[in-house]
Parts: sequence; structure tokens; C-alpha cells
Amino acid sequence: MSGEAGAIGSDQIIFATGGYDHTIKLWQTHTGNCQKTLQHAESQVNMLEITPDRRYLAAASYQHIRMFDLTTTNQNHDFNYEGVPKNVTAVGFEKNTKWMYSGGEDGKVRIWDLRETTNNPHHYEVFAPVTCVQLHPNQSEVFIGDQNGTIHMWDMKTDNADQYIPDLDNMIIDLAINPDGTHLAAVNSKGRCFIWSISGGCKSEERTTILPKNKFEAHPRQALKCKFSPDSNYLVTTSSDQTAKIWDAKNNFKLIKELKHNNKRWVWDAAFSSDSQYLFTGSSDNIARLWNVKDGTIEREYVGHQKAITTIAFRDVFVPA
Amino acid sequence: MALYDNKYWLLSHIRNSFISTDDTGMCELVMVGENLPDSLVDALDKYPDTDDSQEEDDEIEHESYDIQLDSDFNVRKFGSNMSSWMEKMDQKRKRAGRSKNIKWESNAEKMSDEDRMKMFAKQEIPKEQPAFKSLLSEQIQNCIRMPKNPFMEYSKFDGSAQVGVPVRKYKIFLTMLPENQKNYPMLVVCVATAKIQELIGLICYKCSIVYGDFPLQPVSSYGLYITEEDGEVDRDFPCLDAKECVAKFGFTCLGLVEHKNNKIVTFENSEQLVMRNLEETLSSSEQASAALDESKQLIVDMELMKGHEIAMIAPLYQSYRAFIITKMRSKVEIHLGISGEKLEIDPVHQKNAKFVLSRQKPVSHHMDCIGSCIITDTKSSKTTFRIDYVSVPGNKEIVGSNSLPSNVSMKHYDFEADNATAEEIVQKMNIILDIRSSTSRKEFIATLEKKKEKKGFV
Repeated sequence: MSGEAGAIGSDQIIFATGGYDHTIKLWQTHTGNCQKTLQHAESQVNMLEITPDRRYLAAASYQHIRMFDLTTTNQNHDFNYEGVPKNVTAVGFEKNTKWMYSGGEDGKVRIWDLRETTNNPHHYEVFAPVTCVQLHPNQSEVFIGDQNGTIHMWDMKTDNADQYIPDLDNMIIDLAINPDGTHLAAVNSKGRCFIWSISGGCKSEERTTILPKNKFEAHPRQALKCKFSPDSNYLVTTSSDQTAKIWDAKNNFKLIKELKHNNKRWVWDAAFSSDSQYLFTGSSDNIARLWNVKDGTIEREYVGHQKAITTIAFRDVFVPA
Repeated sequence: MALYDNKYWLLSHIRNSFISTDDTGMCELVMVGENLPDSLVDALDKYPDTDDSQEEDDEIEHESYDIQLDSDFNVRKFGSNMSSWMEKMDQKRKRAGRSKNIKWESNAEKMSDEDRMKMFAKQEIPKEQPAFKSLLSEQIQNCIRMPKNPFMEYSKFDGSAQVGVPVRKYKIFLTMLPENQKNYPMLVVCVATAKIQELIGLICYKCSIVYGDFPLQPVSSYGLYITEEDGEVDRDFPCLDAKECVAKFGFTCLGLVEHKNNKIVTFENSEQLVMRNLEETLSSSEQASAALDESKQLIVDMELMKGHEIAMIAPLYQSYRAFIITKMRSKVEIHLGISGEKLEIDPVHQKNAKFVLSRQKPVSHHMDCIGSCIITDTKSSKTTFRIDYVSVPGNKEIVGSNSLPSNVSMKHYDFEADNATAEEIVQKMNIILDIRSSTSRKEFIATLEKKKEKKGFV
């Protein structure tokens, strides 16, 4: 999710981390202190996502999606979306928080109507466990990655779908679309990264198509996350090889920086600041870190989790220049 | 009901109900020994059916019709498990009750085309944002020289909001804070597996967040003491051992106190502390003079303390294994028992009949008869020492008298033992002899000297 403009009245930076220790922590980013700890008793947290209106934090977990109201002091969730068998691996929101999408191990991508305007659910089935789901900035198409290595492009309006297989039989781990809607990135279990250019997505008459553009070995081992920076200049990929790498998206995806730390273990997730100058990472060593992208140095460490951090969520605040 | 007019039955029933429904077991403890006195039983109505007095006696003893003492334990255990399980379910229900559940309707009709078109219409992609700055970048750049919180590593011991992990809750009184802040305790929840030192670190971490201005010392400068609910620190007990696990202690109210003097007051460690200090000061030459004096003073103090310690335990009975050298120049193993009052020699293994002449009888001497104890010879592995004593013929007592009778005979024992034991024995003996009575001992020694002179050197 790109860092969109802060909603009216929102003046706080939100940085949340979650993982295996059954808690979700909210941090004060400039001091490194934990501001709040939310309880997530029943299972580990697979993915965290903040709603575009900055009001809720969604936690996708085993068979549930729980929504925590960030404006209250309540330690427990306020909404519980259930009826999904097995793990929910991906969650995201329409840009006006009208609806929510989720993908899970049961192979289905579901659209949840948050305003409850319709009782008829919309979903798409891919017949393999879904690992990642990304919404095109046009709010009409969704890209789905699955464990078989297939990327599906699902047009929710027409209910048509296209399939692309960049690397047969190797699981797609993560997908990313840049805020311009011009590029799609995918990383798989072999550490390979694939880039497509997207065309036609912005215009309603034209069909959206993707064309393969780049392919490179991002990591020697399984990649875990890929994300474009808000200014679309960078692509970050994280991996089980203990590093996060920053690639130049405007210059043929050359490697710009490798962010490495001893004992960091697996780097599960990453998030850019809104000016793309800083990057958050979450690791299996129970610590989340803030990196200076230019220097490659660590600015802050967020210590407090008892077990591995597998997902982070970040919303920056815009201040007039 | 027909039974309710029987007062005895009613009384018994009430008592049984208390015992069986009380999960804490207190009622049972209180009532178990109480047998309904016979007089009361006689006064109350009995069942017309119970003709056999034996049965009645039994019933009275058990005090109930069906609850036996042994099974009570099981009933109680089940009861307490039930109550905690019920509590957990209640909590879960409360938590779930506050949140709204939305279930996925998989059987509902699919969305109509129009609805789909409306809901998922292609939207324009927003252009690049006008020049806005990131608040995060601004904050980080402003705090670029902010030092890392030294207590950050202890934040992971925070047990609040932890689910499924045993935790301990404490009210901590921060005695080092200024007056207006230290009266209110800080609530700290710590994971039960943490050590006291880590709990102190967590308290310092929380303190640094809440009272950011207050300068905190390193964790080792603080100790946790048992404290009353009103904040009064109980100084009678020492501070909780930093290496112990918090789960061991059951206190809920603790006080964090700064150690004023940094000298650690334990026997084992302080010597090492002194030696380390000395080594450090020896290696750094120039700034050392004040420190050296201090450490010299420390050494002197240590020696004094050690001396006192040894002097204090000297009169206590101690038995040593040594060899006594007999007149036949043979060595017999003995137990040498030394106490403030007596010297005892007990032979070990006196079975061999061959060496009848070298047999040692068990002897006991009063300490006032002992004149001296000195080391006579030191070899690489063994040391010989001698104990001079006087023996009065007829076993008359010379205890307490200030002068010796003229018919005393001077004797001595020679012993052999390994170096360490011999030194210890001699030191102990000399301390005891010094302690006992210096005036009579002086006279004693003087008399001994005279006798020696008369005899000539032995």
C-alpha cells in the first residue's frame, strides 16, 4: 500500500508490528518506545494493514481478520471477520475504505463490504493457496499470487481474469504495484524478482495488460517481501538471506543498497516513509529497525516483541514543506 | 420436606454443604475436628430408624452421611479448577462480547453486474503529491543525536498484554524520585521468567519513559526491597537477590532504592574486589595515589575483619586428623579435638595388638593445663608441632588458679599433620590460649621458662 495523504484530523504517525508472540505493538517512531500493545490471543498475525482513513488496524490471521480501533485505548479488537477456513494471508483496502479484500490458504480472494451496502459477496477462486493480493491503484483490478507460481489478474468489474506464470512451480511470495500503476513486481521462493510494465490500467475502456520487463536474481534464497517506494523510484525486496535490498526502479533495477545487520535473521517485511528516505524492516530476531536509505545505516531499533516479527504496517503523516 | 423438621439433620446438612461447596477448603479445615457433642445430639431429635447406637456414633464422628475426609481433597481440587476455568470462559466471553462479528456469507447470491460495475469502477490514479514533507523524516532528523535508551533491552520483559505467558504484577515505589512523585506506586507487569535484575531494568525503562527528565543510574546501582502498601520500605530485610527469578517471590509491593555505598557486603566477593582494585591501581601509575591509599585501607580493614572472624570461631569445637608421635617414635593416627575448654586426643583404629607399647589412650586435657603450641618442623608435605602441657599427679585441678603447684610435671605431645592442618591447629590453639586468660598464662609461661632453664634445653 502506498503512503497516501493523511486523512483529515490525523496527526499521528502509525507504526505497528506483529508476529508470533500474540501481541501487536504500536510504536513511537522517533524514540523507539512502545506506545501500546494490543492483544491478539488466538493465533499468530500473518499480515497487518492500516485502513486508508487511519482509523483501524486490520490483522489477518488464522481464520479471522480482526480490526482494532486505533482511536481508542481498547486492547482488544472491535470487529472480527470470520467464516474463512485456514489462514488469511493477505488483506488490503479500497482507497476510501469502502471495502476490504482478503486472500487465504483456501484459494479464495474475498471482497468484504465495509459499508454494508450489499449483502452479496464477491469473490474469486484460484484453486491454490493464495500468498499475496495487491490492488491496482485504479481500484478495479486485483493481482493475486499463489503457491503454484501463478499470478492472476482479476478484473472485479467484469469478473474476468488473466493468468501469468513467470517461473513454473516456484511459489509467488509477494507482489507489488507502484503508486503510478505502471509497474508490477513479483518475488518468488527462489529469490527471483520479475517486473512487468502495466498499460491501460488508468483508462476505463482499455483493457489492462502487463508485459514482462525485467527479471533478476534478487536474493540467493527465498524472498519474503517486495514493495515500491511512494515516489516509485525504489523497489525493496526482503529475504530469508537476512538482508533487505533496495533496487533502482527507474534505472533498470540496479542494486542501490543492501541493508544488512548481523543476527538480523529473516527479514519478513518492509515499509517506506512517505518521502522514501527511510525504511522500516521487521525481523525474526524480534526487533524492528528504521534504516536510512541513502546511508544504509540503522536509525532506530524497536525492541519489545518476545517472538519473531513477521509483519509491519506504517502510515506516515504529511507536513507542508 | 420431611427431613427439615429434624434439627440434627439440618445442622449436619448445613455443615456438609459448607464443606462441599467451599472451594478454598477453609470450612473443612475449621470444621473437620469438630464432632457434634453428645449432649447436643441427645437434645436434638434423632432419626427414629437408627436403633443401632454404633451406627450413630460412626455418623457423628464422620459428621456427614456421604462425605468422607479423603474424597474431600478431590472435591476441592475439582472445585478450584472449575472456578478458574469458569473465570477464563467469562473473560473470553466478555472480550468477544465487546467486538462485532461479521461472518462471510458463502451461500448468498452472486453480485449483480450493475452492482459490480458500480462498486469496482476504474478510478483515476492520483498524480504525484505536491511538495509535502514526511513527518517521520522531520522527527528523525530532529532527534538525530538522541542517544539510545540504555534500558531498551529490558522492554521485552514487559508482561502487560501478554497472553498465555505467566506474569507477575507489582506496585513499585520509586524512592529515588522527588517527594511529590515518589508517593504513588508505578504498576509494573513482568514476565515470570525474568530475574530480579531484569525486573529492575524494566522498572528503569518505564521510569525513563514516564519521568524522562530524571537521571537514572545503571541497573546495578539499584536494589528492590520489600515495601509496605503505603510505600514504607522494610529495611530489616536485605534487598532481593538480583540473580533470583521473580517467580520465586510472592511480594506484590516493592521499593526501588538506590544503593548509596558501592561496596558490596558479602564475604566471598569483597576480597576479590579489593584485589582487583589493587591490581588496577598498580597498573595505572599516576592517578593512583588516592585510590591506592583507599585500597590499602581496604586491605587493612579486610585483614582485621578476617582476623576477627577467625578469632570468633576459634573457641568452637573442631576435630582434626593428625598423627601423634609416641615415645617409641611411631606414629599413631588420632583425632585431635580442640575447643575453647578442652583438648582431646582420640586414637583411631586401635586394633593391632603388636604395637601395644605404642598404643595411645584417649586423653583429655583442660585448656588451662596447656602451656603452648608451636610448630617444630616443617617439611614439604608434613609439619610437626608440639603442645606443652602440665599434668598434676593425682589429677588435681589447676584450673583457675593463678600459680602452679610445685609438683607439676612438664610434658609435651608431638604431632604430625599436613602443612595446612598443622598451621590451622597451631593458630587455633594460640588464639584460644590468648583468649583464655592472659595473666595466668603469662605466669604459666614464666614458670615453664624457669622449669626449662632448670632442666636445661630439651
